[in-house]
Amino acid sequence: MLWPVLGDEGLRPPSPPLPPLPQPSAPRPASKASKSNKLVPLLLCAPCKPTQRKRQSTTRWYVQQPTWRLWGEEKGDGVIYTVYLKKVRYHRPTRSLSTSESDDEISHLEWETVRVRFLKAGTVQRLVESLANDDGELESTYINVFLATYRAFTTPPEVLELLLVRYDSLDEAANAQHRKTLVQALHVWLDAYPGDWRSSPGHPLLTRLLDFAHRRLPGSELELKARHRLHSFSQPDDQLDNSCTIYDNGRLGLHCSGDTFADSWSSYSFPEVSHRHLAEQLTRMDAEVFRKLVAHQCLGAVWSRRGDRSRSHDAATVLATVNQFNAVSLRVISTILLADEGTKAQERARVIETWIDVAQELRILKNFSSLKAIVSGLQSNPVYRLEKCWQCMTREKHELFRELERIFSEENNAWTQRELLIKEGTAKFADTAGRSDRHLQKIFQKQNIHAGNISYGTIPYLGTFLTDLTMIDTAIPDTIAEGLINFDKRRKEFEVLARIRLLQGAANAYNFNVDPLFERWFHSIVVLDDRESYNLSCQIEIPPAGSTINNRSTAAKKKLQQNHNNSQQQHQHQHHHHNHSNNHNQSGHRKNDSIASTSSSSSSQFYCDLDSLPSSPHNSLDRRISPSQMSSSSSSSSLPSLDISLSSGGGNGAGNSQSRLNVSQGGNSNGTAAGLPSPSHSHKSSPDFYIIKVTIESDNVETEGVILYKSIMLSNNERTPQVIRNAMLKLGIEGNPDQFTLAQVLPDREMVLPNSANVYYAVNTAHNLNFILRPKKT
Amino acid sequence: MTRPPNNDNLMTFKLVVVGDGGVGKSALTIQFFQKLFVTDYDPTIEDSYIQHTEVDKQWCILDVLDTAGQEEFSAMREQYMRKGDGFLLVYSVTDKQSYENIVNFYTQILRVKDRDVYPMLLVANKVDLVHLRKVTEEQGRELAHRLSIPYIETSAKDPPLNVDAAFHEVVRIIRNQPPAELEKNRRKRRRAAKCTIL
Repeated sequence: MLWPVLGDEGLRPPSPPLPPLPQPSAPRPASKASKSNKLVPLLLCAPCKPTQRKRQSTTRWYVQQPTWRLWGEEKGDGVIYTVYLKKVRYHRPTRSLSTSESDDEISHLEWETVRVRFLKAGTVQRLVESLANDDGELESTYINVFLATYRAFTTPPEVLELLLVRYDSLDEAANAQHRKTLVQALHVWLDAYPGDWRSSPGHPLLTRLLDFAHRRLPGSELELKARHRLHSFSQPDDQLDNSCTIYDNGRLGLHCSGDTFADSWSSYSFPEVSHRHLAEQLTRMDAEVFRKLVAHQCLGAVWSRRGDRSRSHDAATVLATVNQFNAVSLRVISTILLADEGTKAQERARVIETWIDVAQELRILKNFSSLKAIVSGLQSNPVYRLEKCWQCMTREKHELFRELERIFSEENNAWTQRELLIKEGTAKFADTAGRSDRHLQKIFQKQNIHAGNISYGTIPYLGTFLTDLTMIDTAIPDTIAEGLINFDKRRKEFEVLARIRLLQGAANAYNFNVDPLFERWFHSIVVLDDRESYNLSCQIEIPPAGSTINNRSTAAKKKLQQNHNNSQQQHQHQHHHHNHSNNHNQSGHRKNDSIASTSSSSSSQFYCDLDSLPSSPHNSLDRRISPSQMSSSSSSSSLPSLDISLSSGGGNGAGNSQSRLNVSQGGNSNGTAAGLPSPSHSHKSSPDFYIIKVTIESDNVETEGVILYKSIMLSNNERTPQVIRNAMLKLGIEGNPDQFTLAQVLPDREMVLPNSANVYYAVNTAHNLNFILRPKKT
Repeated sequence: MTRPPNNDNLMTFKLVVVGDGGVGKSALTIQFFQKLFVTDYDPTIEDSYIQHTEVDKQWCILDVLDTAGQEEFSAMREQYMRKGDGFLLVYSVTDKQSYENIVNFYTQILRVKDRDVYPMLLVANKVDLVHLRKVTEEQGRELAHRLSIPYIETSAKDPPLNVDAAFHEVVRIIRNQPPAELEKNRRKRRRAAKCTIL
């Protein structure tokens, strides 16, 4: 077969090498498509005509830097073509090859211009007929584009009928080649898109084809193939293609109750797991879902046109990919917020670090889907705002995270990510790091020593493709010129689909075995919805009084607080809060199944807790949101659900000593009440560190009138030069630390810290921990 | 129209379009940008969603983020919300659910931004579909009032209604923030972005 088959089941193993390409992927010279050079083999747009005449001669030719020129449009009955003129250059045959012939007229020709026609728009009938061109030949690109996109404008039965009618209308003698081509097209369709032919009960489309083949082409390969297909469809175990795992991101975790649950925790003890192993397991899951993705379900016409009830069926494989992505993100979030032993910020930070390490492994494995899922999870508000945890991490981890985060920057239309996919999509291993990506560079260097043995696939983040296809669908009209189907739009869509297919083919390179321990662990992780995780996060680190939406309800109180010794309070929060989170985590979240709550909260009560707060006086917004809007997963399901309720006014700094975490399993409201010990302040001791705020003295106009403080962590063994270095790093100042002094800003004066001081012990904790960094006067 | 001045001294505004799937976000974005790409639209090029615009005789650069098609990837929503200077909260007047979901987007943005107010515009889209309309103008305005944000009705169908106006209005809202708030918000963003360098 001369064309790569781009069917339902992904790209076939690249058996014979693709023929060398005579022209670029896209006919429009100015097109940016040239950027996707590596993908050319799949995007080949075979010319409609140019080779016809040349074939007769023995002159071998190829095109050198073909130049395309738009010639114009050609209109026919129900069809419009775009015509290009292409300059082709002849390659002189070598002497040895052409000795037998004398110079014919052609060998004098250096180049020639040929006309190339592309179908721009047409009726369905004309589009189907064009599967065989005027010369009765099959065009590989055209059939690929057509079969990948036709569902946007017609249906399988209509296409089949049109094909069969066309076949019948062709004269047997004069159009033998033409007929042969149509049969060939049917073969391609059967092979590449088996999903089109499967429609229980009875598979009428396939039956129709079989009937036709039996009548018109008895004993032919087509008949055999159709018969075979029908037979295999009727097998009871033939449901594999349609089945795709869909994770219930709602409450799957709690299905596993009792022993199973405890078991899996103990046997797969995250975060003490091999990062590599975890990354491989995630990749195995992703690859499975991604390989099953039916690319044409990503088309704008299918995926992004909602209101269509059938979407969950028509785009089931896309949904499965989305669900897998969310499953990973949600688990990242909940493992951090519900960190098993996360009694201290440091320990919670270790969970974050673990995920960053796993993300790094995913980068090496070129699994951009789970990589992004982890980055998104870490950037989700409930995790991202846990400043104290982040501050407990090493600089290296921060830098690594930033490098990974940059991959998914939205800057310049997600250019970084797009470029990476082009560079590495079909490469054997990852090796592309940005110039400033110190850590990734190092990792790739290390890896490349063994590069010979490595061969990984690639799993993309599908969302970017979905947006591109949505945008194409929105931007380009379905029909032009009074109702002709705009086939140029389909070509455009096909470029994106072809990229997905190419990567699907590449994903076959992964080969990781299922680890049942991992599976159990993964599925047993409790996931939280938006609100639950945000509220939990606010208990772990209480939002500073004054800014967040939670405090709106207590705006008046808040203002009072602010005017009063706001800073003092804030300072206290830091300590207090530290202890507080210790407490509730120890008590609340060791095992999710072992706790029942004294409160008989149901999912909706959880929301009411928040929503019943009086709304802000300066804004009449009624914040009551029904549970069904907020979280369909928790409210609509009858599954046991994890509720976290704030028993005191949510997030209000002043009342936080009362706030506690109630964990209950809905539907078990009167359950074995084991009240949570209320957080006490008994072990209130000095923290291992302070968070101090540092600003730089600056005459910079930009910062005039605004004091910009950065928070840094101060641990109990840091001396002045180290603190200055940390502060400079945080403030983004370059230079020699020796050239700066550090002083604590006290109400009446400034206390300059001597160079040898242990800052932790030197600071005056009776006041705000506000510091100023200034360049030494020279 | 005057010529856009040099890039260097222009303010760049990052606008983020949010809303349920199917409310026509992408149509608004495309309508706003496509004038420049009439012939050959390519969604993958770098500057697809960047445009020089003159709003109230002041030039600026609009960098629009529209993740249409990615609505279900719920976990990454906050990530891109963090980047926005201003937001278009879009619902379809033919889809009651999309209207009711607006408050969720609103809350989420304020949470991510850790603020009480933030530049946002409530956009009632698809008003050309008069017969299918399920959310009245009154309901739209009432919601906008509750959220204390301005309201606009749009249609991306030809001839477009208020499409440019909507994007320009967000720029105005950003510009008209009290100076302190503006400064705070911009700082906040910078701080948040840098908060990982410790």
